[in-house]
Amino acid sequence: MASELAVVGKRLTRPDVAAKATGSALYTTDMTLPGMLTAAVLRSPHAHARIVKIDTSRAAKLPGVMAVLTTRDVPDKLFNMGTSELLIIKKEHLIADQHVLNNPVRYAGEAVAAVAAVDEATAQAALELIEVEYEVLPAVFDPLEAIKPGAPRVHDFAGNNIAQHLSHPYVSGDVEKGFRESDAVIEGTFTTSKQKTAPLEPASCVASFDANGRVTVWSPAQRPFLARRRLGEAFDIPEGKIRWITPLIGGGFGNGASLRAEPICVALAQKTRRPVKLEYSREEQFVATETRTRFVQMVKLGVKKDGTMIALQTRVIADAGAYFSATGSITGVNMAYLLGLYRVPNTAGQADIVYTNTTPSGAVRGYGNPEGMFALEQVVDMAAEKIGMDPMELRLKNHRTTGEPSRSPSITIESCRLAECMQLGAEKIGWKEKRATRNKAGIKRRGLGMAVTTHNAGSFPRMLDYTNATIKLNEDGSANLTAGCCELGQGITGVVSQIAAEALGMHAQDIVVYAGDTDVNEFDAGCVGSRATYNIGNAVVRAASEAKQKLLERAAKMLEAEPGELEAREGRVFFKVAPDKGITIAEVAKDAIYNFKGDAGQISGHCSWEAKWNTPAFEAVFAEVEVDTETGEVRVIKVAQAHDIGRAINPLTVEGQLEGSIMQGMGWALTEDFAVNSKGILESDNFTSYKIPSSMDIPETEVLLVEYPIESGPFGAKSVGECGVNAIAPAIANAISDATGIRLFELPMNPERVLHALHRKEAGGLSY
Amino acid sequence: MSKQIVRLSVNGSNHELLLEPQMTLLQALRDELGLTGTKYGCGVCECGACTVLVDGKPVLACSILAISVRDKDILTIEGLAGNGNLHPIQQAFIDYGAIQCGFCTPGMILSSKALLDENPRPSRQEVKEWLAGNLCRCTGYVKIIEAVMAASETMVKGGSHGK
Repeated sequence: MASELAVVGKRLTRPDVAAKATGSALYTTDMTLPGMLTAAVLRSPHAHARIVKIDTSRAAKLPGVMAVLTTRDVPDKLFNMGTSELLIIKKEHLIADQHVLNNPVRYAGEAVAAVAAVDEATAQAALELIEVEYEVLPAVFDPLEAIKPGAPRVHDFAGNNIAQHLSHPYVSGDVEKGFRESDAVIEGTFTTSKQKTAPLEPASCVASFDANGRVTVWSPAQRPFLARRRLGEAFDIPEGKIRWITPLIGGGFGNGASLRAEPICVALAQKTRRPVKLEYSREEQFVATETRTRFVQMVKLGVKKDGTMIALQTRVIADAGAYFSATGSITGVNMAYLLGLYRVPNTAGQADIVYTNTTPSGAVRGYGNPEGMFALEQVVDMAAEKIGMDPMELRLKNHRTTGEPSRSPSITIESCRLAECMQLGAEKIGWKEKRATRNKAGIKRRGLGMAVTTHNAGSFPRMLDYTNATIKLNEDGSANLTAGCCELGQGITGVVSQIAAEALGMHAQDIVVYAGDTDVNEFDAGCVGSRATYNIGNAVVRAASEAKQKLLERAAKMLEAEPGELEAREGRVFFKVAPDKGITIAEVAKDAIYNFKGDAGQISGHCSWEAKWNTPAFEAVFAEVEVDTETGEVRVIKVAQAHDIGRAINPLTVEGQLEGSIMQGMGWALTEDFAVNSKGILESDNFTSYKIPSSMDIPETEVLLVEYPIESGPFGAKSVGECGVNAIAPAIANAISDATGIRLFELPMNPERVLHALHRKEAGGLSY
Repeated sequence: MSKQIVRLSVNGSNHELLLEPQMTLLQALRDELGLTGTKYGCGVCECGACTVLVDGKPVLACSILAISVRDKDILTIEGLAGNGNLHPIQQAFIDYGAIQCGFCTPGMILSSKALLDENPRPSRQEVKEWLAGNLCRCTGYVKIIEAVMAASETMVKGGSHGK
């Protein structure tokens, strides 16, 4: 089958990379408009404070300052910076809790005021001249403290700081009875950290109103249509009066699923009636854009002696930070994956979403799933140890597979190759051999760990997952494809060009992709949720197939044949029985425009695609680590990651996604720490104190693609964007446990925590 | 402070600019010369996205004053391809899938050039060590290192156009 494909499955060069290699690629921050002003933001030094008085008169008088923005100048309307809630079918999560500028401010680093000036130096100087009198309010930074009676209140409406309570909707059986009937019950409380997406490009925005009051916004948003709607809600501007353009994005990872710099930038552009650019500094990117949600998860698993899982329960405290954003939806996803990976007859999940005076949390690659896996996949290992079973055997015995319900019970798993992923990964890491012979004495100890995971392709059925694609053929045989994909580095523009080329019988380089412009593109739900290849790809393959039908019909007239006798491939239309006999697509496309016989009709195709299905990807991760028992340092020696991809449209980009997710997962596991001091001030607001992996940290990596094309995906493809990050941290945690016997319950697993656990173990206490 | 006339030689062209003495090379390149290929990633020498070559040596443009490199040869990413031909490192980054979002790419390529000019046949370990100051959040560095190793091969065999 694979040999029949001409374009899909090839390691082709993406259309965006030549510009990136030569410095001509344009990102939001590279834009300049005539008369453009530069914006800067004054940020709160306090974690929780009422602005009693703010005097901007000196700043406003500084030559070159065109506007100063305070809470008085922004719409008196609550909104939500996240975009996910706009698509949730059951509207139980909706919370609007912030203004463009807020009083009181609820985290250190929150915007208090902003300035637009003729240049950066003037804007910064103006900030110094704004005088603010604060009434400092009591603040709370830990979600477990926040829910205690008498804790400082972050939002008036949220008693005990609980913004929302969620019950997992797909409970089954009787979990208490399940635990009673278990031979072994394992419990643990796992705390994850507020990881930053840390894209190399900080948040930025350019906004410009035209003479008719229509605004154009350029920003690295991953969901242009939903960002447009959110912005419109905040400013009472109808969608049609906003043109949102997402240029190339310098790294997304979910951060662009929420508004960031845009509201303040638009408010300043509105006030000055001049184009305004707002670029966040790296420090602002750290302190004032959303983080991964800190989850405290109490997870309990009951198993039989033979390894059958019979009860699983999770109780979650989710730290939303200062504003709700998408934390409700993220928490729902967290519980769904944790409770839905294995076939367990008795399950239950409850969650409280809690406000604290910290940077808000929001969408980050994995969207609650990695946090759940950090807990679940350790508990599974602990259960294996307790009943004396190989951890891989326990997983093989219990994971849900083809034909069983997915984490969304209304969707049956179309295809699951997790068993094969496990076997392949185990072979590459040397699971059996190394576990039998590893060195468990001495200062430096080695261990092997594994974890498995799954991730959907998009958000159906919980959310509307809708997109459109249109393709038209030009007279030279090239095509323009408008598809709802933002190029955030993942290579989606290349993926859709390969899909369209394969479906139409063209070369991928002859297809030019238009994406991310709300005036040019039709609606799309965005490049988030591992949805793009599967859902946008499904629209593209149908749009291209419609165009191909028209192509063959016209070619049939030209060749005096029936359309069914013809096929198109690699830029030609030819007779199936005589492939040498035919014409080029260019000739047919030209005839469709310059017809001169009364039969003009440009060849095009369109598809409006609302997802009605969702086939998850699966993955097994194996890690080998070395733990230095004197320093507490953990070195990852090797990672083998086997991914059930369906079909890789472009294996080069799929590998790239997975290799990148290994490192992002490793950073979260070991070094990345969003460290807030006792006053709530972020101390890790730069790359020295917040350490993302560098080239020196790369382990030996083996990325393995397990390809079994599925029915529901374009040319058989599943998803890859997020899955790769889910199982890295638990695989490393399990390897650390294998090496040393300690169990780590909190991220990051830094030397301090490793040493602490080692000392506790030496002192004779059980490590868990 | 009053502005000064500063002559900068960038990618083989001379420019006379009237600059504030405290203006960084990054600001001069991006805001004065429109060479936006050099990126701001952190502003404090931590990420390497603003790496340019000054007299062939890698320099972080965010943290060096423009006036301090007057009359020196500055190479930015825009000047690396000669006569429409990509430099072998650029070609290797494209061919080996070493570019994802591309925001670190200009700095990464110029750092790599400095390495290969100094050490034409580095080991993988030497490449990893050399690039430790250039952060990338997308690729996990695997394909970047492969690309640099491949470019080294090409350049040693004479594929370089002598830039």
